[in-house]
Amino acid sequence: MITFEHVSKRYDGGNNALLDINFHLEPGEMCFLTGHSGAGKSTLLRLILMLEHSTGGQVLVAGRNLSQTPSRLAPKVRQGIGMIFQDHKLLSDKTVFDNVSLPLIIAGMRYVEIKKRVRAALDKVGLLSKEKSWPLALSGGEQQRVGIARAIVHMPPILLADEPTGNLDPQLSEELFRLFRQLNEQGVTVLIASHDLPLVRAMGQRVLVLSSARLVDDIPARPHRWPGP
Amino acid sequence: MSWTGSRRQLRGWVRRQMYSFFSSIGALLSHRVGTLMTVLVLGVAMALPLGLHVTLTNLEGLDLQEEEWGAITVFLNDDTRPEDAMQLADNVNTRGKASATLISPEQGMEEFIHSSGFAQAQELFDENPLPWVVLVTPRITEQQTLGSVVSELVSWLQEQPEVDQVQVDYKWLQRLSGLLDLGRAFVSVLTALFSLAVLVVVANTIRLDVANRAEEIQVLSLVGATDRFIRLPFLYSGFWYGLLGALIALALLSLSIFYLHDPLQHLLQAYGESFRLNGLDALEALIILLTGGLLGLGGAWISVQRHLRQLRMDGNLGRR
Repeated sequence: MITFEHVSKRYDGGNNALLDINFHLEPGEMCFLTGHSGAGKSTLLRLILMLEHSTGGQVLVAGRNLSQTPSRLAPKVRQGIGMIFQDHKLLSDKTVFDNVSLPLIIAGMRYVEIKKRVRAALDKVGLLSKEKSWPLALSGGEQQRVGIARAIVHMPPILLADEPTGNLDPQLSEELFRLFRQLNEQGVTVLIASHDLPLVRAMGQRVLVLSSARLVDDIPARPHRWPGP
Repeated sequence: MSWTGSRRQLRGWVRRQMYSFFSSIGALLSHRVGTLMTVLVLGVAMALPLGLHVTLTNLEGLDLQEEEWGAITVFLNDDTRPEDAMQLADNVNTRGKASATLISPEQGMEEFIHSSGFAQAQELFDENPLPWVVLVTPRITEQQTLGSVVSELVSWLQEQPEVDQVQVDYKWLQRLSGLLDLGRAFVSVLTALFSLAVLVVVANTIRLDVANRAEEIQVLSLVGATDRFIRLPFLYSGFWYGLLGALIALALLSLSIFYLHDPLQHLLQAYGESFRLNGLDALEALIILLTGGLLGLGGAWISVQRHLRQLRMDGNLGRR
């Protein structure tokens, strides 16, 4: 589903953000991406979203070679990906419902259908009762779950998360990761960047470790999984 | 592409248009004061050339009674005999392009006494000092304009031995029409300048809108919105600004016409004119509304293209 072949990214200033990265994610796989801040986790996700272009090697997402994809098709690529941000990126002047509905509006869906799907997504993250709330009236954990609802509402085959637990306490973080696993069990390919090593280890999933722009370790998933919810 | 596939795409397109349409109205309503100020500025900017245009149209529509303006007064030599004067008047009439009225010195004196009320005038002179006068009123034909008829007549009259002096009122008409031509050119220049002003005002307003909504643009772009989708609400906003500006301009114009109508009618009645100050008809109003809207759209387009590119170059579409 996601393949990196000898991918490098060098910024204009001359510093390397990524050097010769190689890995492959099967469809329906769940994987963590760890490393110190500045190790290149965000850059790697940005390459998948076509927010940046690699300066070497090839990035393949859902069978599409992004190095050969013109930037005018970037929206198309992003429509097939659900992205979750550390700072949620919710619009404070829109209600929870309106925030979550954005990907469906962009897809030009019927309002009745939008309503149904937004409710289903909010139900999945346990926030159906908050659909008319404003984002700023919610707690950090709730805001993050709204962000997740927005990322899954159009049922993308790929889910990316950049430090989704960054501002949450351990218990909320764990709940969130369980939610990701549930989604993964429904067939979504999930890639989560996180520096919360203890929690990542506890999940027992595959882990890619980045250090100083290089992929230094690729730990396979443990055969017996962490007990489900 | 299958038939149902393209139909689904079309429906999606329509729904996105509807969304942008309503969200642009929502955006305008959420900043009522700002919107009102922008629209007022646009309205005043559009009202100026429009007002001048309406004024000129009304002036041109005035019945200037061109034939009267074209009248030529011919003074004959003092020693002209009555039969020569009559012969000249006949000649003018038979040429067919004008009608001549002969005024004898006695008639002239009578008229002078009558209009001046200076009854003793006649007694002051040993003999009547007034010359024979021929009043020549040119006829406008379909082939010839008043101007050419008058100049032809004048040059023929000046060749006649009995003629002392030829006086033409027509020059005033020429000057007036020259002034109207100048006014028309002035309206064109003003229209161009104020159209530019409308473009700039809308472009600047949209620039601020884009800056204020940079966060929203960023989020939309991250969840897969195309540039076209991001642009759309701003283009609609530009159209609304222009349209509302034009509406204000039309309102200002109607108000001015309403206010000026009575005093103008008063003034012109003194000149014996029956007069109606005309505004714009429905078609003209519609054209002005559309032009305003399109100007706004143009301004928005220029602005949104520039600033989206700017946002992208700054890395704000996605970079944190």
